[in-house]
Amino acid sequence: MTTIAVGTEKGGYLVEDKGGGWSVTGPNFSGWKVTALGSAPDGTHLAALGSNWYGVGIQRSDDLADWKQVDQPPGWPEGTERKMEQIWTFHTSGDRIWAGVAQAGVFTSDDGGITWVPVDGLNEHPTREHWYPGLGGLCAHRIHIDGPTQWVAISAVGVFRSDDGGVTWEPKNDGIDPVGLPEGAERPEVGYCVHCIAHDPSDPMRIWRQDHSGVYRTYDGGDNWEKIEEGLPASFGFVMWRDRSSGRLLTIPLEASDNRLPVDGRLQVYRSDDDGGHWEVAGTGWRDAPQFTGVLRGAFDGDGEGTFCFGTTGGKLWLTRDNGESWEELDPAFPRIGAIRVIV
Amino acid sequence: MPRGLASVANTELSHQVEGDTLAGALDDLFEREPGLRNHILDEEGRIRPHVSMFVDRDQAGLTAPVRDGAEIQVLNAVSGGRS
Repeated sequence: MTTIAVGTEKGGYLVEDKGGGWSVTGPNFSGWKVTALGSAPDGTHLAALGSNWYGVGIQRSDDLADWKQVDQPPGWPEGTERKMEQIWTFHTSGDRIWAGVAQAGVFTSDDGGITWVPVDGLNEHPTREHWYPGLGGLCAHRIHIDGPTQWVAISAVGVFRSDDGGVTWEPKNDGIDPVGLPEGAERPEVGYCVHCIAHDPSDPMRIWRQDHSGVYRTYDGGDNWEKIEEGLPASFGFVMWRDRSSGRLLTIPLEASDNRLPVDGRLQVYRSDDDGGHWEVAGTGWRDAPQFTGVLRGAFDGDGEGTFCFGTTGGKLWLTRDNGESWEELDPAFPRIGAIRVIV
Repeated sequence: MPRGLASVANTELSHQVEGDTLAGALDDLFEREPGLRNHILDEEGRIRPHVSMFVDRDQAGLTAPVRDGAEIQVLNAVSGGRS
């Protein structure tokens, strides 16, 4: 059985294949945005909520049916003048959960998401006075942990790496084209609009990056980045995914910053089987009719074994169970989708 | 309080609270239901910009007096323009 948790602008939904077609349960959290989905070290399910009126919240559930809010989600201390605008991502490694938030910061929980403490080395980084928000806000949206080596992606600031378990952090954006700078301007330390990063599970120093300014990879943990765009119809987008079992890379190109839609309405996943050396359309099943809809960074997930699902800003789900060889658009339609989690 | 707020906070729509001011009444509420604080007050301890508080049907700030038997309402402000 495949269960897909869907986080939308208007509630959360569960889509389940019980053998006789897809069933939909929901909405949970009516009227609230579901901005991130994850799981605690013990398997407890996590959902991050947001509201235009009531701020953010975190819900926990053992069974995806009964949810309970934690009393104290991540929060900025009084006096910082920062706002807790949205929880963008959960990342769980070992006994700890990391949460990336806007306004940009990272918090950790060692009790399954019930209480949270800030990662001060990053949140109070000396470059913070030069952090400025992108269109999606000033958000820490991707986190990867490999023991003491840790990465956080913040738009529109860049990728940071810690080599000492999160105590100190350095920007790692050499080779990334800055956006919005006049030619000849001095290269800034921060101000790189990373949209998504994906690590090689077998070698976390190998990272692929969808940036505002193009598609890149690094083989040295971010010390040096190089562009890898051969075969892509556009270099803009928000998705980057590496399948654990096959090593296949997946991305969804969008036309450009000023038109964040598939080129000519051709919504298609692109794949690379040579670490980004060349890209091509991933498999079959794509619609002939134009699909003027986008895909956001949190709206792509996979089980690591060849099942992937993504949700669109137009509220539709696309699924493959054969590592991207064939794709199916599911019948149900949802509000704008911002978060997907494939639950095995 | 609004149903959408009470439901995610796993709490009731109505509570009996004590306090001489709105701030005091909210402190009592948050003592019983700590998960509501973050949704009603912002990081600086102020009423959230899109939350309106009423005491006996008059819009009220945190320093507003609360008489014995008063009715306090939490309403989401009319913040139109978004679907």
